[in-house]
Amino acid sequence: MEAASIRTSDVHHDDSHHGPPEANRSSRVEPQQLGMYLFIISEIMVFGAFFTAYFFIRIVQGNPWPATGTELPKIVAGVNTAILVSSSFTLHWALVSAKNGNRNGLKAGLLTTFLLGATFLFVQINEYVNIGFAPHDSAQGSIFYGLTGLHGAHVFIGLTLLSMATIRAFRGHYSPEEHRGVEVPGVYWHFVDVMWIVVYLTVYIL
Amino acid sequence: MLNPLRSEAEAFRFLIYVAVTAIFIAVVVLVVRALT
Repeated sequence: MEAASIRTSDVHHDDSHHGPPEANRSSRVEPQQLGMYLFIISEIMVFGAFFTAYFFIRIVQGNPWPATGTELPKIVAGVNTAILVSSSFTLHWALVSAKNGNRNGLKAGLLTTFLLGATFLFVQINEYVNIGFAPHDSAQGSIFYGLTGLHGAHVFIGLTLLSMATIRAFRGHYSPEEHRGVEVPGVYWHFVDVMWIVVYLTVYIL
Repeated sequence: MLNPLRSEAEAFRFLIYVAVTAIFIAVVVLVVRALT
């Protein structure tokens, strides 16, 4: 009964907060940023597993790369690499524009990034159609499709994030103060580009 | 210290460093292969 007889003046009324209390935070990092950290770290481990398989069949077992009688389209993939890397420049431009309050630059940068990423994916699919070997033909083929396909899946996820950011930008979202919706996909997109540079270097060039 | 996960700007800088390093490695490997 005593608990029920608390005077109303002792109860703190916070009119600005509704709903359940905020979740406890033990990290100084923003939850959205922390989520992206953990996600990218787990992604590095996934790619690491595929690279382990690649180095195992090529270095440990000493198999030729690519498999005998097959050839990888280095030039086409090189141009595709340039397309993907340039998309990181346009995304960086979009975010700088958002920070400077340049809405047209933000929209143009995001749209261009999306189109460049979609072009990369289209060229990659076209490469699969014309490359002349299948994943089940050899261990090298399996690793090639596994690594490039894993990366392609990440580009697709990145394009999904970018499409959301682009639609929001065209709807008037984001400001010089609040642009996390571009910042976090931006970190992810640059990660995808870094991974492609490593994939292109090891699979196509070395 | 550069932390590519901290912000987009740092991730972009990291990408540039990786790209430059990859170009350097590719040039060295291709030159060595051409000479041997």
